[in-house]
Amino acid sequence: MTQPSKAPSAPKPGDRGYKRSWKNLLINKRYQLQFTLFMVGLSTLLMAGLGIWVMKVANETTTVSMASVRGTPCPKIPALDEGSGSEEEGPAVPMKLPEEGDAGTAPSDTPPAAPVADSPAADPAPAAGSGSAAAKEDERPRAMVVMDESSMTMLPNVIKVPEDFGQKVVGHWTCELRLGAEINALERGRLLILYVLIGTGLLLVIGLAVYGIKMTHKVAGPLFKVSLYLGKMQQGRFDKVWNLRKGDQLVDFYEHFKLAHAGVVKMEKEDIAKLKAVIAAAEQAGAGEHATIVELRDIVARKEKAIE
Amino acid sequence: MSDPTAATPGPGGDTKPAPRPHYKRKLSNYLLDKKLQLRYVLLVTILSGVIAGALGYLIYQQKRLASESIEKDLASLTQADSSQEDFQEHVASGLESEDRALVYKMAGVGVGLVIILSLYLLIMTHKVAGPLYKVSMYFDRMAVGRLGAVTPLREGDMLQDFYLNFKDMHDAVRTRAQADASALEKALETLRDSKNQADYRGEARAKLDEALDDLDKHLAERKKSLA
Repeated sequence: MTQPSKAPSAPKPGDRGYKRSWKNLLINKRYQLQFTLFMVGLSTLLMAGLGIWVMKVANETTTVSMASVRGTPCPKIPALDEGSGSEEEGPAVPMKLPEEGDAGTAPSDTPPAAPVADSPAADPAPAAGSGSAAAKEDERPRAMVVMDESSMTMLPNVIKVPEDFGQKVVGHWTCELRLGAEINALERGRLLILYVLIGTGLLLVIGLAVYGIKMTHKVAGPLFKVSLYLGKMQQGRFDKVWNLRKGDQLVDFYEHFKLAHAGVVKMEKEDIAKLKAVIAAAEQAGAGEHATIVELRDIVARKEKAIE
Repeated sequence: MSDPTAATPGPGGDTKPAPRPHYKRKLSNYLLDKKLQLRYVLLVTILSGVIAGALGYLIYQQKRLASESIEKDLASLTQADSSQEDFQEHVASGLESEDRALVYKMAGVGVGLVIILSLYLLIMTHKVAGPLYKVSMYFDRMAVGRLGAVTPLREGDMLQDFYLNFKDMHDAVRTRAQADASALEKALETLRDSKNQADYRGEARAKLDEALDDLDKHLAERKKSLA
């Protein structure tokens, strides 16, 4: 970690006014990452586990709702009867020619025989039990009329359309489209849940990672600062202890450290005072140049330098 | 709480620290630094509660929607037949009770999660608060000039690197203080010897005697504090 730079504003007594920097956020990797990854991991696990559950239920709900929508009856389009317009006209039947004995007689009122093509009699294999009479009748030649020209007017098949047919068609297709839209809306709702879950999960993970590192930095920061002072103290330097930055945690712990530091400085000062008294007394007694006194002076100088 | 920094003297009252006492974690001691620990515990617990609550509500809502859809369809199917009313009501109440059971299950799991998570986090944060507490105790001792031996952290504690830094500093200050005390003791002895041999001036000699006596007392106290 780089040493924080001095802030331009006037700091409070004991404040150095260091500002937090993004570069220095990860001071104590082991501690900070352990806590941050725990938070992020737990949230991811919860989001993923419950998210899968949510999607499972949402899929079920969508399927049920879609089935319900599909089961909604729409008004049917009435079927048009093509034969309704030609009902009055009788089916075209082949003309029945008079038999040889009946020549010159007017056609009778008896219903005509079925058309040749449609009649079972036209079947080349006569039905069993029909008798030889029927077989004989089949063998008789039939007359075929070919109409080259006719003055008859050919009428097309007239289809009768109910008066509300248009409304019913519109109603049917409106209903079909509405149901289709409802099914689409259900599918969109399902996808929306999925996207919201994924988006929220990603935001949560990123947000928590950043927040976790910032939060743990407020603990790791004071520890780092104390570690720097501990290093100095280890080398025998007991210079001034500055305050923590605003928002830092471990304020009480830092107060304990400051007291300890002050206690060690006090020890050094007491040593200096006692040694100075001995040196002064020795000098007064005329032993100022004694080797031991010289040695004591060196100790005093070292101790004074340490607490500067 | 017991003092984790206390080093029991060895048999015979010697100053060499005995094997460190085996301090066990107690449930009552888990919350050492309330502000630090509760902050993290509450953050993670509330966050988990919110996630579980929100997604749990979503699950319930979806489930309820499906049930209502089924109930509605069933009602429209059976409305023409009054004999099916009981069946419809039975199915509807069954679905509702299933949904309610789901809510209870989710609430139970949520509460369980919060409790387990809180306890786990309490233990986890204790592994940070514990070493800080121990170092604070040593700091308090240093504040009154006591520089006894430093015992190592318990297994599983965090901030081992920081604690090592502290221990190195403490040992260095202690060693230096012991060396200074030895040097002063030697100097005191030499000055007393030379005072007896040399012909120091009368009043000054008395002052030197007094200063040396003061230094002697000071050294005795210092030695005691370094024990």
